[in-house]
Amino acid sequence: MPLLAFPETESFVTDPIRPAEPLLVATDLVKSYGPVKAVQGVTFHCNPGEVLALVGENGAGKSTVAKMLAGAVTPTSGSITVAGEPLASGSVKQSRLSGVRCAFQELALVPDWTVAENLSLPDGAPLRGFSQKKSVVKAKALLESFHLPHIDPRAAVGTLSLADRQLVEIVRALAGAPKLLILDEASSALTPPGVSWLFARIRDLTAAGGSVIYVSHRLGEIAEIADRGTVLRDGLVAGEFVRGGWTDDELISMMAGREAERFFPSPPARTTDAVALSVTNLRAEGLAGIDLTLGAGEILGIGGLQGHGQAELLRALFGAAPAVADSWTVGSRRVSRTNPVRSVRNGLGYVPEDRKTEGLALEMSVGENLLAPWYRAYQLGGRPRLSRERGWIDGVLGALSVRTRGPNELAGSLSGGNQQKLVFGRWMNRSRSVILLHDPTRGIDVRAKQELYGAIVDLAKQGVGILWFSTEVEELVHVCHRVVVLYQGQVADELIDHRLTADNIVGAAVGATGSMAAQNASPGSASVQNASPGSTSAQNASVQKASLKTERAAG
Amino acid sequence: MSAITPTSTSTGLPARVWNGTGVVRLRREGAIAPIGAFVVFFVVYVIINPELLTRFQLQTAANLVVPLALVALGQLIIVLVGGIDISIGAIMSLCNVVFAVQLETMPVPVAVLLAIGTGLACGLFNGFLVAYGGLPAIAVTLASAFIFGSLAREVLDRPGGGITTEIYLATSGELLPFVPVSLVWLAVVAVLLWLLLQRTALGRHIYGVGSNMESVRAAGLNARLTKLLAFGLAGVITSLGAMMLAASTVTGDPRSGDPYLLSSIAAVALAGAAFTGGRGSIIGTILAACTLGLIGNLLFFAGVNSYWQYVISALIIVAVVGIPVVWRKAAFFAKGARS
Repeated sequence: MPLLAFPETESFVTDPIRPAEPLLVATDLVKSYGPVKAVQGVTFHCNPGEVLALVGENGAGKSTVAKMLAGAVTPTSGSITVAGEPLASGSVKQSRLSGVRCAFQELALVPDWTVAENLSLPDGAPLRGFSQKKSVVKAKALLESFHLPHIDPRAAVGTLSLADRQLVEIVRALAGAPKLLILDEASSALTPPGVSWLFARIRDLTAAGGSVIYVSHRLGEIAEIADRGTVLRDGLVAGEFVRGGWTDDELISMMAGREAERFFPSPPARTTDAVALSVTNLRAEGLAGIDLTLGAGEILGIGGLQGHGQAELLRALFGAAPAVADSWTVGSRRVSRTNPVRSVRNGLGYVPEDRKTEGLALEMSVGENLLAPWYRAYQLGGRPRLSRERGWIDGVLGALSVRTRGPNELAGSLSGGNQQKLVFGRWMNRSRSVILLHDPTRGIDVRAKQELYGAIVDLAKQGVGILWFSTEVEELVHVCHRVVVLYQGQVADELIDHRLTADNIVGAAVGATGSMAAQNASPGSASVQNASPGSTSAQNASVQKASLKTERAAG
Repeated sequence: MSAITPTSTSTGLPARVWNGTGVVRLRREGAIAPIGAFVVFFVVYVIINPELLTRFQLQTAANLVVPLALVALGQLIIVLVGGIDISIGAIMSLCNVVFAVQLETMPVPVAVLLAIGTGLACGLFNGFLVAYGGLPAIAVTLASAFIFGSLAREVLDRPGGGITTEIYLATSGELLPFVPVSLVWLAVVAVLLWLLLQRTALGRHIYGVGSNMESVRAAGLNARLTKLLAFGLAGVITSLGAMMLAASTVTGDPRSGDPYLLSSIAAVALAGAAFTGGRGSIIGTILAACTLGLIGNLLFFAGVNSYWQYVISALIIVAVVGIPVVWRKAAFFAKGARS
C-alpha cells in the first residue's frame, strides 16, 4: 500500500552503502488472535548499525511485531531471520541467545525483585547459587557504566519511579551488548534528559555495529534518532520513510490513513443549550485536572492515544474510580463523590471498555443482561420479569437490530457486535441524561458499527448528552459535535467546526507541534513532571497500566 | 549524566541506607507484623505461665509447634508461587503413615527417604497439573487431597506403626542439653530453606513467578518449571513435618495431618504473605506458626475455656493482618489531606 512519496527505490538511492546482508529480515509476518488479525503481513528489514523506527497508531500492530521479534509471541505465519539465521520463534530465551533483546512497553521487570535481581537473574540456570552481594556489586558496576548511579541496585523495582523502572528495563536489554535491540515505547515514561541518555546509548550501540528497532509515538524522537522507518496501519505496512525525507504532517496522515471514507451519520442539530454534565478540575489517578462541559443532546468525542487518561476520565465520571473535582454537576444535580450506583440514579449510563468482562454476564440471557442495571434485589427476576419487560426488551432489540434468537438466548453466544449492542442498549429509553461510551465500536463489523452510530445519533436527538471515547479518529471527526483530545491526563486541545479534522486529532494526541501552544511545550511539561516525582509517578503508573491493558486488547 | 532524575538522589539517600539492611526485605515480605505479634505473645505467655521456660514445658511446646511450623513452610512455598495447597494435610497424613509403616521393616534412613520421596511425589503430582496442565491450584489440590487421604488410610487404617523410642528421643526428646532437639531440626530446615529461597536463582525465581509470572516469562525464564519445583519442594518440607509429628507422638496416624490444613493456611496468612504470590518470609511464617500453635496452651494456663482458642486465634489473625492495611489506609488519607 504505497501511499505517500517514499518509494522503496528512493531509500536505495539515499543509502548507497547498504550492505548486501541486512541484520534482520522479517517477511510476511502474520499474527491472528482467533478471528482478529493483529498483524496481517508485515515485511521489513533492518541493516547493521541502523536505527529503524516502527510507527503507527494504537492497534496498528507495532507492539505485536516487536513481541514477535523478541520471541514473546509466536507468529501465525511468516519468517524472521537474524544475520541469516532463522530466529527460533516463541521463545524469549532463544531470542536472547541469538542476540535479540527487547525492552518491553509493559515493563517486564518483576516488581518484588530488587534492581540487582532483575538485572542478573534472567541469565543462567535456575539451580545455580545466587549471591545478593555479588549481584549488587555487578548491578552497581553495570548501572555506573551506563551512567545511572542514582538507581540503587538493592531497591525493589516496585518502589522505583516509573521512569527509573524503564531505565532499568533498558539497561537490562543493553547489558548483553545485543546485536539487535528492540525498544518498544521504551521512552514513554522518560523525561527529556532520560531520552537524551537513551539516544546516547543507542548511538553507542549502533557505532559498535548493533541495530535498533525503535517503536514510538513521539515524532520528535523519531526525527532525531531514526535512520529509516516503517509505518504500520491496521496490521499492514502503510509506507516507509528515510531520515530527513518526511514531515510531521505527512507521517501523521500516513498513520491516520486516507482510506475511502465510510458512511458516517452527521450529528443532529442541537435544539437546546442545557448542560447535561459539567465538571471542573477533575482529579483522579491518571487525570491531572480536567474541565469538561457536555450539553444535552451533544455528542462530545474524546480523542488521544490510549493511556493518556481517557479510560480514567470515563471511570471517574461514572464513579468507578475515586475522583474529586472543584465543581461537578450532572443535569442540575451537584455531585461531590459518586459511585456507580449513585451515578445510575443520577441518570448516567456507561458502556465500559471490555464488553466480555466488564459489560456483560456472558452466562446469563440477553434479556437479563439488558435489564442488569434495573434489577433491584427485592424485585422479580428470571422469566417472569422478562415477560413483564418484554415490550421494552423487544423495542431495544429491534431498534439496534440485534441478531438474536430472543431474550432467553445466552449473551455469550452472540457475536461481538451484537454483544456490544446489548451493553449499549440497556441504557436506551431509560431516561438517561448522560451516556459514557468507551470505544463502543472497537472490534465489531462495519454493519454493527453503522447501527450503533444510528442509535447514538438517535439518543442525542432525544436530548441525551453523549461522551464518546473512540480510538477511531474518523468516528470522532464525523459523528461528533466537538472533540476534546487528552494528552498525559490533561486536555491538550479542543477541536470544533473547521479545526475538527483527523490530522488535528492525531497531531494533538501525539503531542506534535503546531496544533496548540500547550503541545509546543511538551518537553517543558515533562520536566515539570520531574519536579514532583511522587504524584506523577503514581499517575504515570496508572497510565502505563491503562496502556498496557489496552495495547494487549488491541493486540 | 547525573541529571537524569535529580530529585531522586536527594530523596533516595535515606532509603539507600535502609536498603542495605535486611529490615527492608523483612518489611517488604510482610514479616514485621508477625514478628511483633510473636514477641508480644511470648511475653504475655511467660508472664501468665513462667513455667514455659522449664525444660519439660519448653520441650512439650516445641514438639507441639514444630510440625505445624514445617507444614506452614510448605504451604508458604506454594503461596509464594501464587497457589494454595488444600492437599497439604493429606500429604502430611500419607507421609506420616508411610514413615511409620516402613519403620516396622526397613532401617531408619530408608524409611526417612521413602517418606520424603512420598512428599516429593505428591508435590510433583500437584505441581505438574498446576504448572503444565494449567489447572487452578485450589481445584487440583482439593481433588488430590481426597486421593492422598485415601492412600494414607490404605497404607495404615488405624493408628500404629513401628516408631521406636530412639526415634522419639532423636527428634523430639532430650538429646541436647538445654535446647529441645525438635527446635534444632526446625532451625536446620529453616536455614537450608532460607538459603534456597534467598541465595539460589531458583529461590528468587519462585518469588518472581508469584510476583509477576508474565514478567518472568518475558525475561526468558522457565516459569512453569519453577512452579513445578516449588510444589515438589513444598511436598518435601511437608514430609519433614509429617515425620516430626509421627516421631513426637510415637505413632503413625492416617488422620494426623487433617487439622494441619487450616492451621498452615492460617499461619501463612498471619505471616503477612500475599496470597496472590511473591511475598512472604520464612521467619514470619515460623513465628506465626509458633503463635498459633501455642494459643491453646496459653488459654489453658490462663484458665480460659479451650473453645475460646479459635476465637482468640481468629482475633490475632485479623488484628495482625488488619493493622498494616489500616495503617496504609490512614497514611493514604493523611497524605491526601495534606495535598
